[in-house]
Amino acid sequence: MSKKAKVAGSVVAGFPSPAEQYFEPPLDLNELLVKRPAATYFVRVEGDSMINAGINDGDLLVVDRSLSPANGDIIIASVDGDFTVKRLRIGKREKGNGTKHEGADIRLEPGNPKYPTIVLEHGQELDYFGKVTACIHQF
Amino acid sequence: MIGLVDGNNFFVSCERVFNRRLVGRPVAVLSNNDGCCVARSNEFKALGIPMGTPYFKLKHREKSGEISFCSSNYELYGDMSNRIISILREEAVDVEQYSIDEAFIYPPTTAAADYISYGKHLRAKVLKWVGIPCGVGFAPTKTLAKIANHIAKKQPDGVYLLPDDPTEILANLPCSEIWGIGRHLAPKLKAERILTAQHLRDASNDTLRAIGGVTLLRTAIELRGVSCHEERDYDADPDSISCSRSFGEPATTLEALAESLASFSAQAASKLRRHGLLAAGCNIYAQIFADGGGGECIGRTIVFATPSDATNEILRAISQEVKYLYNPCVRYRKTGIVFFGLEKPGTAHQIDLFPLSSSQLPNPSSLDKAVDTLNARFGKGKIFSAAEGIGKKSWHMKREKLSPRPTTRWDELMRVR
Repeated sequence: MSKKAKVAGSVVAGFPSPAEQYFEPPLDLNELLVKRPAATYFVRVEGDSMINAGINDGDLLVVDRSLSPANGDIIIASVDGDFTVKRLRIGKREKGNGTKHEGADIRLEPGNPKYPTIVLEHGQELDYFGKVTACIHQF
Repeated sequence: MIGLVDGNNFFVSCERVFNRRLVGRPVAVLSNNDGCCVARSNEFKALGIPMGTPYFKLKHREKSGEISFCSSNYELYGDMSNRIISILREEAVDVEQYSIDEAFIYPPTTAAADYISYGKHLRAKVLKWVGIPCGVGFAPTKTLAKIANHIAKKQPDGVYLLPDDPTEILANLPCSEIWGIGRHLAPKLKAERILTAQHLRDASNDTLRAIGGVTLLRTAIELRGVSCHEERDYDADPDSISCSRSFGEPATTLEALAESLASFSAQAASKLRRHGLLAAGCNIYAQIFADGGGGECIGRTIVFATPSDATNEILRAISQEVKYLYNPCVRYRKTGIVFFGLEKPGTAHQIDLFPLSSSQLPNPSSLDKAVDTLNARFGKGKIFSAAEGIGKKSWHMKREKLSPRPTTRWDELMRVR
């Protein structure tokens, strides 16, 4: 009985509810920030190496692994076993796609002059984790 | 065509996604309570350390830095598994998850022109999105797909399509390696000189039925290329539904025994309901702790008034029996429950004149259904019977080498500098 009463709201009887015609789901941050849930990971920032890129200590980053790294992207990569967030700079002689940039000049550039740029050795493969697509800063 | 996708050394691969120091190293994941090796990296396998080797026997090699271990991080593995399944669901017409690291897929008709390319695409996508390397095998039936998957793992590109006439492959495959052939059948098969998958495929239906009933016959028909494991049929009524676990530290109280058994019973009862089965009764047991392993087992057999899948009924029956397992002078290593007399509801069994559930309890099926739903939604063990105990449980699993759970816990996220 109570179920029927709920359904009755959508039956035209008397005045139509103006809300019905304009019904929309409420805004959902996941829809905005997580395009591909199966490939999306959250990571926590430690330190100020990317402060000039708007990434602060303690921020939450949204990382999408499905996106291939391109020159200028802010990415997560592993260097000597530790994960780092840096801006990817790919020099000339780029070859292939995905994570293989054989022969290319690959650099991980910090967003803070206090930190050195990480230069991958010739032939060293980039251990790419994913592309940073958003930074969430909570006050 | 059916595909079988499974994660290579799945637990180890999950650990490696978030801990790059484990890449290229001999690593093994340990069973519950850090007991023994249940998943091994290729480097670990290359050292010749077999599956199931107890952790304590390898501790000195861990100390020397030669090999590494992780406790079972089921929260992580479960999440990574869900990600893989959701990717497969995008790419296939249908997906049936078989275990945490295996799924059958039904490829779209567009894949028929080139299954190898389709398999490579799947594999590359899972590897990129989730970081887990997979093997992908294609064949006309599930039983053959299992075989194809086995071969796929040995291919450099991880993908294999079973040839139209797989006789040569089947001739070299011992029966014991065929999916669904239990060890108990081996002597009977041997007596009939059925030693390989080819022998099994070509045996007469009458012979097969005599040896292993309709289940064995089905397996043989599948080897012939005719699909007869219908959808979800692989999840066929299991021979036994059980649940047991060792205490993190030896237990000494009756409460610990009762609570652990109640919790396992609730889990096993939920599995019964998932399989649509009723159990006629169960054995409960407690194993006494003995230095150096082993230890005597005290068992108790309980037969329910009527076959049941209702947690409350089962718990009530068990709670009256636990005291018989208890001896205040000993410490306990482990408790467990094994259901027996499994049957589908509706098959003939005597009707109890005074069924426990209707007279004393709310309708158990609706109550249990609600509990199962809530636990599925809010996390395992959020809703439980008071008999399972509240608060810290000393019999919980020991997981001393547990890695963070970066995909399910906000306070255990991966850190980047």
